[in-house]
Amino acid sequence: MSSRSSTTDEPPPLVAPAARRRAKAPAVRKGGDGRFAFWLVVPAMLVLTAVIGYPIVAALIRSLSSDTLGESPHFVGFGNYADALWGARSGQFWDSVEVTYLFAAITIVLETAIGLGMALVMNQAFRGRSLLRGVVLVPWAVPTAVAAVLWKWSFNPVGIINAVTGSHVVWTGADWPSRIAIIVADTWKTSPFIALLILAGLQVIPHDVYEAAELDGAGAFQRFRLITLPLVRPALLVAVLFRLLDALRMYDLPAILTHGANDTTTLSILVVQSTLSELKPGYGGALSTLTFLFIFVTAYAFVRLLGVDATEAHTRDSRKARS
Amino acid sequence: MLTANVGRNRLGRARVPRARRPYVARLTHWGDTVRRRLSWTGAAVAAATVATVGLSGCGASGSGSGGDARGPITFASGKDLTGAMPQLLAQWNKLHPDQKVTFIELSASPDDQRNSFVQDLQARSGKYDVMWDDVVWTSEFAAHGWLAPLDKAQVGGPGVLPAAVDTATYKGTMYGAPFMTNSALLYYRSDLVPKPPTTWAELQADCAVAKAHHMDCYAGQFAQYEGLTVNAAEAITSAGGSFLSPDGTKVTVDSPQARAGLQHLVDMFRNGDIPKAALTYQEQESANAFLSGKTMFLANWPYVYTAASAADSKIKGKFGMAQLPGPNGPGKASLGGIDLGVSAFSKHKQTAKDFVAWMQSESSQKILVKVMNQASVLSKLYTDPELTKASPYLPTLQKAELTAVPRPKTPAYNAVSLAIQKDVYAALQGKVSVDGAIKNLAGDLQQAIQSN
Repeated sequence: MSSRSSTTDEPPPLVAPAARRRAKAPAVRKGGDGRFAFWLVVPAMLVLTAVIGYPIVAALIRSLSSDTLGESPHFVGFGNYADALWGARSGQFWDSVEVTYLFAAITIVLETAIGLGMALVMNQAFRGRSLLRGVVLVPWAVPTAVAAVLWKWSFNPVGIINAVTGSHVVWTGADWPSRIAIIVADTWKTSPFIALLILAGLQVIPHDVYEAAELDGAGAFQRFRLITLPLVRPALLVAVLFRLLDALRMYDLPAILTHGANDTTTLSILVVQSTLSELKPGYGGALSTLTFLFIFVTAYAFVRLLGVDATEAHTRDSRKARS
Repeated sequence: MLTANVGRNRLGRARVPRARRPYVARLTHWGDTVRRRLSWTGAAVAAATVATVGLSGCGASGSGSGGDARGPITFASGKDLTGAMPQLLAQWNKLHPDQKVTFIELSASPDDQRNSFVQDLQARSGKYDVMWDDVVWTSEFAAHGWLAPLDKAQVGGPGVLPAAVDTATYKGTMYGAPFMTNSALLYYRSDLVPKPPTTWAELQADCAVAKAHHMDCYAGQFAQYEGLTVNAAEAITSAGGSFLSPDGTKVTVDSPQARAGLQHLVDMFRNGDIPKAALTYQEQESANAFLSGKTMFLANWPYVYTAASAADSKIKGKFGMAQLPGPNGPGKASLGGIDLGVSAFSKHKQTAKDFVAWMQSESSQKILVKVMNQASVLSKLYTDPELTKASPYLPTLQKAELTAVPRPKTPAYNAVSLAIQKDVYAALQGKVSVDGAIKNLAGDLQQAIQSN
């Protein structure tokens, strides 16, 4: 691969792609006029404030008020939050939390494993590689709602899945079959995304590292475990972080496949149900704030436990490996 | 370069000249400073924020006032699948050139229609002067003060089906003009069972015929959605039970009658008379099961008649329509349909009120039946020979509608319906006993009507 052989003798920056961009910037940065740039950015910031900031703040404020019919909303403090966390509706809320995290955990493990496999294949030089790359990306290009409808047909009791496997499972009529249907659809849909991010990570691994390892007598599995995995880890973690954020707010697939029936009501479905269908914007606001907190805490924990430290450690490790 | 080799050339070429331009350089500098300050934590916050934006909502409620003046109005309805609505409205516009009505066509999905209405009503904009309200929304919209009260003498007279008038009434006042009505009927294969069953016992006896022909016996709407509320309500009210007291303030579901009604459905699932697949059936899936000739009985709205009697139908001439069976004689159907509501925020309420009354008049209702193929709210149109020729089921439908029961009438209808769907579904799956499901339902309904 020509792009690889042109790598300089300098050890390449083994950090996440975003960090690479940062590291390049100094060459461009001279005589910068922060104020001028500030005014250029102002219009965009104003739009963002209007379309992102305002709804969030409004939902936050609204989440502190009552939803009583026939009177204007009045301040109830954290009543709506208490309702969800340990009050009358806590059962429903914690069921959703459970199923949301269940989906996130299973789909991320499956998608990372499959995505890594796809990326490794796509990274090999062989005839028809660009065709394969294109084909693999097709599921990711299909809108989720469309994919959900396709899978709904496939999982119909008289659909193709039962016809091909010869089974008579009523896929969207019981708990685990429904969950499996959603997990299969999500994995099909999103593995290419992970593959793409991992592929980007694989391509910055210089070829000479592999050559050196091969000379030292490392087998294919050792090269994968000791070189590929540690070096691709930053990109892998970014991919998993993205997926984590995405999976925790999963809405379209269960909404279309099961309407939240059979214990597949994710947090997002519950928020929409409370806010739009039951017309309880206060409670719905509390739920969306709680969803935000859950996603934030999870992402933060993920980054703290694995992200930053791991990146640095592996930069060191890989240097050691190279010397 | 996140995408590296995929499209590398394109990205690579684009980057170089950009970096040379001074203003972009400054921009990059600023953005870079910010980016450096943003820690991973910041990135996580930002990402999580963006993730939740789509979930936040806000709203306000209350009622407002508008003039009783006349003038142009708008009429918003669900998607007009018949294409006949403009024809109907053109007649009004010809009669009232100074008070023209503009047609606004909304989504085909009732949930989306409701969202459009609610958003407009919460904003008090009065964009929709006349709204096409599903019968189960009337109480909720009226309780929020979103609908203008109507004159019962004008839109709820003796010629209108009493059950339809009932759906449009909230706390003794009419808040909608009944426009269309609907109730489920039992479709049966007349080639296999010459005489339709009138009781549950007869229905279950007929299931032996289905078994002999390797067919499923009975299908309805049993997926966990609004259709399940309709079907469960039919079983429970036919057995003499109810969900809420007539004024919607007390839970009445914990009764032997309600248990008997639910037990009937559970039994039919347990002995296979209703196939397991029916747990995923909405209207169309259940209709397909009947139209394909693989199911002997179907409970559904009258609209299936059109497809079943079409020239290419597999069961053309081999089916009939009857009232739903009950425990001892014909059962009670759930009432569907549309009431036309006048927005409390309309600026031309008088025109709007005249318009909804005109939509209920005999000439308009004839177009409704003949061109749109819907059931009228006027009793006399069910026996009109011209109409019964095109839709021979009309007299049966009228009988069903005379005994039909509205679904629970409460401003908290959605929460109530969601609770019914959840608890009944668990019983049909066999996860919860009938007794347990009814007890859970009583608790959930209490919470649903209390939390308002």
